[in-house]
Amino acid sequence: MKANILNKIPKVLVFAFLFFSCSSDLDFDQAKDLKLEPAFVANLAYFNVPATQLVNDGSPQVISDVQGFDAFKDPFFRDNLIKAEFDFEVENTIVRAFKIEMLLLDANDQTLETDSYSVPAYLGGSNIIKYPTEVFENARLDLLKKTVKLKFIIRMESGPPLDKNSVGNLKFRSSANIYMVIE
Amino acid sequence: MRKAYLILILFLQFVCFSQNRQLLYNFTAIPQSSLVNPGADVSYKYYFGIPVLSGISANVGSNSFSAYDLFANNGVDFNDKVRNIVNNSSNKDKAQVNEQLELFSGGFRVGGEDSQSYVSFGAYQEFDFLMYVPKDPAILALYGNKDYVGKSFNLADITVRAEVLSVLHVGFHKKLSEKFVLGGRVKLYSSGANATSTRNSGFIYTTQNAGTPNLYTQIISSNLELRTSGIAKFTKDEYEGNIAEDIAHNTFFNGSLGLGIDAGFTYYFRENLQFTASIIDLGFVNQSKDIETITNKGNYRYEGVNPVFNATNVPKDVFDDFEKAIPRDTLYNKYTTWRPTKLYSSVQYSFGESRSDEECNCKGSTKRRYLNAIGGQLFAMTMPNEPFIAFTAFYKRSIFEKLDFKATYTLDSYSSKNIGLGLSGTIGKVNIYALVDNVLEYKDVSKANSVAFQFGINFIVPE
Repeated sequence: MKANILNKIPKVLVFAFLFFSCSSDLDFDQAKDLKLEPAFVANLAYFNVPATQLVNDGSPQVISDVQGFDAFKDPFFRDNLIKAEFDFEVENTIVRAFKIEMLLLDANDQTLETDSYSVPAYLGGSNIIKYPTEVFENARLDLLKKTVKLKFIIRMESGPPLDKNSVGNLKFRSSANIYMVIE
Repeated sequence: MRKAYLILILFLQFVCFSQNRQLLYNFTAIPQSSLVNPGADVSYKYYFGIPVLSGISANVGSNSFSAYDLFANNGVDFNDKVRNIVNNSSNKDKAQVNEQLELFSGGFRVGGEDSQSYVSFGAYQEFDFLMYVPKDPAILALYGNKDYVGKSFNLADITVRAEVLSVLHVGFHKKLSEKFVLGGRVKLYSSGANATSTRNSGFIYTTQNAGTPNLYTQIISSNLELRTSGIAKFTKDEYEGNIAEDIAHNTFFNGSLGLGIDAGFTYYFRENLQFTASIIDLGFVNQSKDIETITNKGNYRYEGVNPVFNATNVPKDVFDDFEKAIPRDTLYNKYTTWRPTKLYSSVQYSFGESRSDEECNCKGSTKRRYLNAIGGQLFAMTMPNEPFIAFTAFYKRSIFEKLDFKATYTLDSYSSKNIGLGLSGTIGKVNIYALVDNVLEYKDVSKANSVAFQFGINFIVPE
C-alpha cells in the first residue's frame, strides 16, 4: 500500500506540470478599438459629346441631362463615409467654349450644390484641363450625402457655327476618392 | 454589435486547432486510441468512460499569428497589430479549431474467455472550424483600392467552414492472429449547424487604361456562395430564443444526418516491429435541416454616371444596375458536406524487455513486454485547398507496469518545434490520461501558434 502512495506522487507531479502554463497579459477588449480606414477610388461620371450633336448657328446653347445617383441610399456607406474628393478632367476639341455644370439634387429635385467648370474653345494643340479637386468634408459632405440625382448642364458659348461636318468632341471624365472610417 | 467588430470576427478568427492526435494515436494503454485507429491493438475485458470526462480534447492553432500578436496588452495600437498580421499572412495561412467532448463510451470483449474480439461504442460532440486568411479581401477592407490600382483582389481567398455535430459510433476489432489486428467503426453523424463557403472565386479589379472613355476600368466578377444548415432561423428578426440551446438541441435530436466509417489495422512484422494505418471519418452529412444558401454571382463593370444629352433617355441608376448584375440570391437546396477525412500511419520499433513484477503469469502467455518504443507517424487530413500533412517522431516508455509515457516531436505547417507529452496511468481500475501538445509554448501560451490538449478518465477491467 505504501508503495502505491509513493507511486502516485510522481504521477500527480507530472500531471500538475502538464497543466501548468503561463500566458502573457492579453487584452481582448482591444477588438473594440478596431477601426478600418479604407480609401477607395472609383469612376464618378463621364460623357463624350461630339460636335455633330451640337449643330448650331453660332449662338449660345444649353443641353442637360439628369441621372440617378443612389450611392448614399446604403446606410453603411452613408454612415461611414468621412470624406470624398472629386476630380474632373475635360478634353475639348470643339472650336467653341463651354461651361459644364454638375448639380447635386436631393430627393425633391432641389439643388444642393452647383459646381461649374469653364472650358476654353479648341485652338489646336492640346486642350485638356484638370480642375482643382473638390473636397467634401463636414457640412459640404452632409449635403453630398443627401444627393440622389446628378444633373449635368453643358452651356455652349457663342462662337463659330457647328454643322453635320464639324469635328471635335467634348470629353468629360471624373473620379472620386472615397475615405471611410468603419468602427 | 458594431460592424467593424463583426468584420474582425469574420476576417481574423484567431483560434485554431489542428486535428492531428499524434499523442493519442497508437497509445494503446488508453482505450480512446481506438477512435483514431479502430484497428489499434487495444484489449480489455470491458471498460467505460466516465461520462463527459472520458475524453475532452481541444486544439487551437493558427500558422501565421498567435493570440499574443493580436491581443497583447503592450500599448501597440490594435489596428497596427491587425495590419501587421494581414501583411505577414498569405492566403495559404489558416486558422483551425477542433473540439471534441466524449459523452459516453465503453467497450467489451465478445465471445468466450479466449476470444480476441472487441466491441466499442460511444457518442461524442464535435466542433470544427477552419478558415484560411482572406488576405485580399482583408487588404481591401483595411486599405481600400486607392493604393492598389492595378491589383486584382482575389475573392477565392474567402474559404471558411464550421460545423457542430454529434457522432454516435459502434466499432469492432479482432485480433485475427498474433500478428494482425483489424478493426472498423460505423458512425452516425447528426449535424446541428453547418456553414460552408469553400467554392468561391472571382475578383475585384481597378486599373487605368489609356484610350478608354473613363478614368478607371473597374470590374467585379463575383462567384460567392455561403451554404448554411441549421443557422438560417437565427438570422431572422422574429427569432427569440437561445442560440446555444437551440444548436445543442438540434445537434442531438434534430440534426442533418450523415454516415461515415473508420477503418484501421495493426500488423507485427516481428514481435517488436509494428506497422499501423487508419482512415478516420470517411463520410458525409446530408445537410437537410433549415438550409439556406446565399449567393452573389455575376459580373459588373462599373463606369459611373453616364449622362446622355438627348431628350428621350430615361435616367438610370448605376447602383441598381450593380444589384441587377450581381444579385444576392437565396436558395433552399439540400447539399452534402464531406467530413474532414484523416489518415494516420505509424511504424514502431520496441526494445528493452521488461522483467515482470508479477511472480507468475497466470494466463501462461509467452508474449514479451517491451519497456521502450520509438517510431514515426504520418498524419494527413483533407482540406478545401490542399491537404494538411504532419510528421511525428515518438518515444514511448513504460515507467511502471501501469504508467505509460509518450513524447512526440511533430513537424507541420503550424510549427517545427512541437513537442508533446502524454501520460496514461492506471490506479486500481481507474485509468487517467492527459496529453499535451506544444509544451515548449506553455511558458507563454499566448504566443503559441497551436495548442492542443486531451484529457480523460476511464474505468477499465483488463483481460
